[in-house]
Amino acid sequence: MTAATDAPVRHRPPRAGGAVTLTAARLLRIELRRSAMPWILPVIAALFWFDSYRFGTGSPPYWVLRTFWNMGQGRTFLDFAPFVVGVAAWMGSRDGRRGTADLVAGAVRPRWAVQLAAWAAAAIWAVGAYLVFVGVMFAVYARQGLQGSPPWWWVAVGAAAVTAFSAAGFAVGAFFPSRFAAPVAAFGAFLAVIVSDQNGFGDTSGWPLILPTNANGNYQPVSGIFYPYLPDLPIARMMFLGGIAVAALGLLGLPARAGGAWLRRAAAVVTLAGVAAAGTASGLARTARLTPHGMTIPALHDAASDRPIGYTPVCAQAAGVPVCLNPAYRRYLPEVAADLRPVLAQVAGLPGAPARVAQVAGRYTSGMFENQTDVAVTISGTPPVLRVPLDEFNTLPSATPGSAAQFDQELPLLSVHAFVGAGNGAGTTAQQAVQAALLQHVGLPFATQVQALAIFGLPPWGSEYLQGLVSGSESATGPGSPGGPVYAAARRFAALPAAARHAWLATHLAALRSGELTLGQLP
Amino acid sequence: MTAAGVQSSPPGAVPARLADRPAVASLRLAWLYLVSRRIPAALGLLAGLGALLWAALHWRWNISGGLAAQQLIPLTIETGSAAVIAVTTHGPFGDPERATGRWLPWLRLAAAVALTAAAFGALAAGAAGGVLPGGTLALLRNLTGMTGTGLLSAAVLGGAFGWTGPMAYWLATESVLAAGWTTPWIWPARPPHDRGAAICAALVFAAGIAAVTLLGARDAGRRSAPD
Repeated sequence: MTAATDAPVRHRPPRAGGAVTLTAARLLRIELRRSAMPWILPVIAALFWFDSYRFGTGSPPYWVLRTFWNMGQGRTFLDFAPFVVGVAAWMGSRDGRRGTADLVAGAVRPRWAVQLAAWAAAAIWAVGAYLVFVGVMFAVYARQGLQGSPPWWWVAVGAAAVTAFSAAGFAVGAFFPSRFAAPVAAFGAFLAVIVSDQNGFGDTSGWPLILPTNANGNYQPVSGIFYPYLPDLPIARMMFLGGIAVAALGLLGLPARAGGAWLRRAAAVVTLAGVAAAGTASGLARTARLTPHGMTIPALHDAASDRPIGYTPVCAQAAGVPVCLNPAYRRYLPEVAADLRPVLAQVAGLPGAPARVAQVAGRYTSGMFENQTDVAVTISGTPPVLRVPLDEFNTLPSATPGSAAQFDQELPLLSVHAFVGAGNGAGTTAQQAVQAALLQHVGLPFATQVQALAIFGLPPWGSEYLQGLVSGSESATGPGSPGGPVYAAARRFAALPAAARHAWLATHLAALRSGELTLGQLP
Repeated sequence: MTAAGVQSSPPGAVPARLADRPAVASLRLAWLYLVSRRIPAALGLLAGLGALLWAALHWRWNISGGLAAQQLIPLTIETGSAAVIAVTTHGPFGDPERATGRWLPWLRLAAAVALTAAAFGALAAGAAGGVLPGGTLALLRNLTGMTGTGLLSAAVLGGAFGWTGPMAYWLATESVLAAGWTTPWIWPARPPHDRGAAICAALVFAAGIAAVTLLGARDAGRRSAPD
C-alpha cells in the first residue's frame, strides 16, 4: 500500500491558455456591444454614398476609371478616417473621462490588455463597415458590367488605413482623456491627410508615394485591363500603416499603470517594431521607380506581376480591314470601326496603308493620368498595323455631352496624322497640307479641323498644326478661319479627283513621309 | 463630544444672504453650467484655432491646387471651431438636470450663441495674419452654417458626437468644390456676398440653435451613443 492510493484525486487544472482566450473573447464581446463606433456608421454611410460612390458614376465603365476617385485617390479611406479617429479617441478616453483609470488599473487583466480589447472592438466595427460598404459598392459596379478587374490591393490598403487611424485615435484619447479628444483627433487627422494628400499630388517620387491617396504612376487606365495592378506600392503602404497601428498600440502599454515590467518592456519592443516597419516602408517607397508596367519597388517586386493580361481581341471590319480591340473595349468597337472606315477607304492600296487596326496598351506615366497629351497612334510592322492606344484618349464616347463627337474627330485626326508620317510633331508643311486634304475627304471639313485641333488633350503638335492651318487669320478671340499657304495647298490637293490624288500619293508617299517634299511640290 | 462644531460654516463659505441674491445665484448657475460643459476649455481651443489660422495665413501655409485648394486650410480650421462648439453641448447629468433645470434652454441658447460669437472673434483675429479667402463675411457665413450642422448632429447623435456634422459637411464640401458645383447649400463654394448661400447658412444655424435650445443634445435620458 502506498500513500499514492490515499492521495486525493487531483483534477487537471484548466489550461491557462484556454482561459485567457475565453476571457479575451468575452471581453471583446462586451466591448463590441459597448463600442460607440456603430453610432457613427450611418453618417459614414451617407457620406460614402455621396462622396465615394456618387462622384465616380460618370466615369467610363472600367473598374480602374470608376474606382479612380474612391480607391486610386483614396477617397473612401478619407471618408472614414476622421470619423474613425474621432470615435476611437472617444473610446480611448473612456476610462480617463469617467475617472476610472485607477480602478481598472487594479483589475485582474492588465490595463494594456483591456485597452487593446476596447480598441479591437472599435477597429472591428470600423474595418468591418469599410469592407461591407466597399463590398456593396463593388457589387453594384459588377452589376453595371464594369470591364477590367477590381483593385483588390487598394481595398486592402484602405482597410489597413482604417485600422491605423483607429489605433492612432485610440492612443490620442487614452493619453488626452477629454470630451474634446474626439473632435481634436478627427480635426488633426483630417488636416494631416488632406494637406499631405493635396501636396502629394504633385510629387511623382519619394515619400509621398507612401500615402494611400497618391495615384501617381500606379493607378492608370491600363491597370487591370492590359497589366495587373502592381502590388508593390500597396504592400509598402500596408506595411507603413501597419507600422503606425502597431506603434500607436505599443505606446498604450508604456505608462506605469499599463501593466507589469515585462509587459511594459514588451510594449516598448512593439512600439519600436512599429516605428521600424513604418520607417522601412517609407524608405522602400523612396526606391520606387516607373516601369512600363507601373510603379515598382525593386525589393518587393515580383516579375510575374509584369506579365500582360492575356485576351482574345474582338474584331470588326472597316473598309475591308480588320479592326480589333481588347474585349474590355467591346462597347466602342462599332464607333471605332465607323470612325476609321472613311480613313481606311481613303488610303486603301497605298504603300504603308494599314492592313489591320489593333488596340495597344497605353503607357504608364509618373503623373496621375496616362500620357493623354502625347497620344501615340502609330503605323508599324509588316504588314502595316495601325496601333491605337484607346486608353490614352482624353475622352471616350460616353453619356457626357460632346464626348462622342470629340472622339469621332480625334480618332481620324490622329490616324491620318500617323499615315502621313508626321510622327510626334506637327510635320512638314507638305505633310500638314496632305493631312488636311485627307481629313477633308474622311468627313472632317477644314473648318471642323480647326475645332478638332482645339480639343483638350491632343498632343502638343495639335496647336502647331492649327497655326499652320489658320496662318494669318488668328485673332485675340480664337484661331480664326482656315487660311494661309498650308490651307491653300490643302484645298488644291483636296480638289483633285480621287484617282489623281490616289495616284500622286502612291508615287510620292515615301518622299512625303521622309519629309523631303515641300509645299510647292504638291500638285 | 458635542455637536457644537457641526453648525458652524466652513471657512470661506458664502453667507446665505449673499447667495440668495438672484443676480449672484444666476451668475453661479451660469458658471456651473459653463463648467459642466467644459466651455472654458472650449474657449482655449477656439483661441488656439484662431492662432492656427493666423499662423497659416501669416506664413502662407499653402497646399497645391486652385481656389478650392487655397480654401482648404481656413475652412478646415472653421470646421474645427464648429466641432468644438458642438461638443460643448454634451451634458453629463441627463434626466436630473432636465427635470430640475428650469433655465436650461436659455443656458443652452446663450452658450451656443456666445461660443459662436467667440469663435468668430478668435478666427477674425486670426484672419489678421494675412489674406483670408472670401474675407470675414465668408468666415461668418461658413462658421455659423457649420456650427448649425454641428448643433443639429448633437441633437440627433449626442453632444459627444456633435463634431461629426461639421466634419461630414466639410468632406462633402471638399468634393463639391473639386467638382465645381454651385448649390447654395454648399455655401463655402459661393462668393462671400451670395445671398442664397447666406440664407442657407443662416437657416441651418437657426435650425441647430432651435434644436439644441428646445431639445438639448441627445444624451443620457434619451438613449444615446455609449459614453
